Amino acid sequence: MNETLELGRLAAIIAPLLIIQLILMVIALIQCIKAEETRGPKLVWILIIIFINLLGPIAFFLFGRRQRG
Amino acid sequence: MSMKTRVLMTLLRKEWLELLRSYKLIWVPLVFLVLGIMQPVSSYYMPLIIEKAGNMPEGTIIEIPMPSEEQVLAETLSQFGLMGLLILALSYMGIVSAERASGAASLVLVKPISFTAYMVSKWLSMLLFTWGVLLIGYGAAWYYTWLLFDKVELGPFLISYLLYGLWFSFILSATLLFSTLLRSAAGAACSALGLAILLSLLGGLLPKYMACSPGALTGYAYEAVQSASGSMKADAPLWCSIGLTAALVAACLMGSAALLRRAPAID
Repeated sequence: MNETLELGRLAAIIAPLLIIQLILMVIALIQCIKAEETRGPKLVWILIIIFINLLGPIAFFLFGRRQRG
Repeated sequence: MSMKTRVLMTLLRKEWLELLRSYKLIWVPLVFLVLGIMQPVSSYYMPLIIEKAGNMPEGTIIEIPMPSEEQVLAETLSQFGLMGLLILALSYMGIVSAERASGAASLVLVKPISFTAYMVSKWLSMLLFTWGVLLIGYGAAWYYTWLLFDKVELGPFLISYLLYGLWFSFILSATLLFSTLLRSAAGAACSALGLAILLSLLGGLLPKYMACSPGALTGYAYEAVQSASGSMKADAPLWCSIGLTAALVAACLMGSAALLRRAPAID
């Protein structure tokens, strides 16, 4: 198996995945910081969003924000 | 345009705006994209990952057969069936109950809008969104499978997409019904997901008796994508299951409209 060739291909394949995950993380972070109130401490949410990839932002989008009203 | 369609269009626009405001329009498709890409990639690199990270003694040779491209797509579908359904049901759990609780539902319904139009607009926007999101995710999986493995014909791909979409439509219509029926959003999500799990379990345990149930649709979808060149035999159980699911979807929709008419606002 040609290692260097494989590595370049791997990068090309993985890059979109990482970029999408990064976008999700950034949107979640912006939302979290802008929100007046989150369900639970804001700092914990920020840590969750940053350190648990994919599931962290999803969890914040689903449960993090308080319903207005 | 008749009055009725105009009302419906306005209500649909409201639902659309709601999706945009809650950022669901952005993050749900992105998550489905990740799920769709992840499965083919991890199937492809699994042997390599095990070889590099498995801490195997020197000289161990493990032969892991590469999954076929059809198998990868079927695995992706089952991934959507788990994570995707969970995400969609959770994000739609409050579709009626939250509007009722906040009073938004009564604000809309004091206007000359029929309960049916209100419900249909919610249901339509929900289904459009679901089918779209599923297409994005599954399409990405198809493309990546093509890149890494081999091409799966368009026919089997589309048939499995349609069957899976119907299964999703059923569970989400049930979510709509439960969201109207129950006061708590969490309860609605739990009931809908419980129903999904129960039906797939029963479908797996008693395939003979459950061949007609909506839960069997997932199995038919896997079968459709795995049967070479779309030569899936379209026999009675398949059509029976499609028909029953469509009927149940309609029943859920009408049931929720009727429930809403009986009690437009809770407290």
